[in-house]
Amino acid sequence: MTDKNADGPGAEGERADSGPMRRDELIAGEYVLGILSLEDRGKVEARMAADRRFAATVRRWQTNLSGLDDAYQPVTPPAHLRRRIERRVFGAPAPQPSLWHSLVFWRGCAFASIAVIAVLGGMVALSERAPRPAPAPTLSAEMAVTGTGIDLIAAYQAASGRLMVRPVAARQEGARSLELWLVEGGQAPRSLGILPESGEGGLIVPADLRRALGPGATLAVSIEPPGGSPTGKVTGPVIAQGPVARMP
Amino acid sequence: MTQDGLALLIARIGLRDREAFALVYRQTSAKLFGICLRILKDRADAEEALQDIYVKIWERAVSFVPGETSPAGWLQAIARNHAIDRLRARKPVADAIDEAYDLADSTDDPEACAVAAGERRRIDVCLGELAAARAEAVRRAYVEGASYQELADHFAVPLNTMRTWLRRSLLTLRKCLER
Repeated sequence: MTDKNADGPGAEGERADSGPMRRDELIAGEYVLGILSLEDRGKVEARMAADRRFAATVRRWQTNLSGLDDAYQPVTPPAHLRRRIERRVFGAPAPQPSLWHSLVFWRGCAFASIAVIAVLGGMVALSERAPRPAPAPTLSAEMAVTGTGIDLIAAYQAASGRLMVRPVAARQEGARSLELWLVEGGQAPRSLGILPESGEGGLIVPADLRRALGPGATLAVSIEPPGGSPTGKVTGPVIAQGPVARMP
Repeated sequence: MTQDGLALLIARIGLRDREAFALVYRQTSAKLFGICLRILKDRADAEEALQDIYVKIWERAVSFVPGETSPAGWLQAIARNHAIDRLRARKPVADAIDEAYDLADSTDDPEACAVAAGERRRIDVCLGELAAARAEAVRRAYVEGASYQELADHFAVPLNTMRTWLRRSLLTLRKCLER
């Protein structure tokens, strides 16, 4: 293997300053520069969606040229723009009470937070010792949180005196799952799994996420299609979230 | 607002967090509006564009990947791209992608960077190594959204000369920035 380290063709693909690679470099650079026609810009964006390497080339140009953004002087936009944007983004007129501003919802959320803590407590417990069968609940209650499509299920074990409360996305159209997300260090949310809707609750945190689960992270619950988000990303509305704190 | 703080807020927008959206708007709308005004040069048009841009931010936040780009750069790229799309829709320019991109090999380009290899260079350092008029053409294209024809008119050179200028400049910049 004498020439294993030789700078032969193909080792790193084509050289960036020759042939098709250079053409890609130029097109990506021209795109980021903004000099292309609308139709050509559309072609570049279609190519980015289909070709990860080309997309990375465009992103590199974007990063490289972003220093030129310093030339843009900030100008405060008129106040009415914000209201118009919120109307478009949030759908309903902004002043109308939304899920987030509903007193009933927040009352429900207090319960949901308890459930999240219970689930988190359960996860820590599960990671520390082998799961063992818990005594079957002797009493249960289903509490509807008005206007949210969320039910809270309470299960009581008389033997231990333990009362667990779980949120269930019961009354959305069709069956739905509640998915628990970990948001950490500004990264995109990562799924911790589906909140169990029956049986003795708790979920096992995937091994690769355990280190990230600590103070500073945020837990959030979204409503997803049955079985969880099909894309691995949050697709449904977020119905509860809060920071993770160490228990005293 | 630190970059990390902004990245976390964008992640929260991905979780459909309205409060995070309001905070990001408060922190960034002046800069993004500045981008719209500079490129579109029309206040009403810039206001329309800014609305579309924040709708896009709301929709795309879930796909924001913090390691890939800085959060401010990510937001500014959405704003610039939208403003330029709008400008090009308003004032169409000739398509170019199907034409030849052949340039003489730039290895011997007299403008090639002469800076010693080392840490990654910033764009302004590398622009400083282009001939002044060519650096100015790059800046005008990026910052103002100028077209090839507008640049050719401004610098009083034929259209094809301007294309060659900018493409050569891009290759030179790439070498300088990456080396």
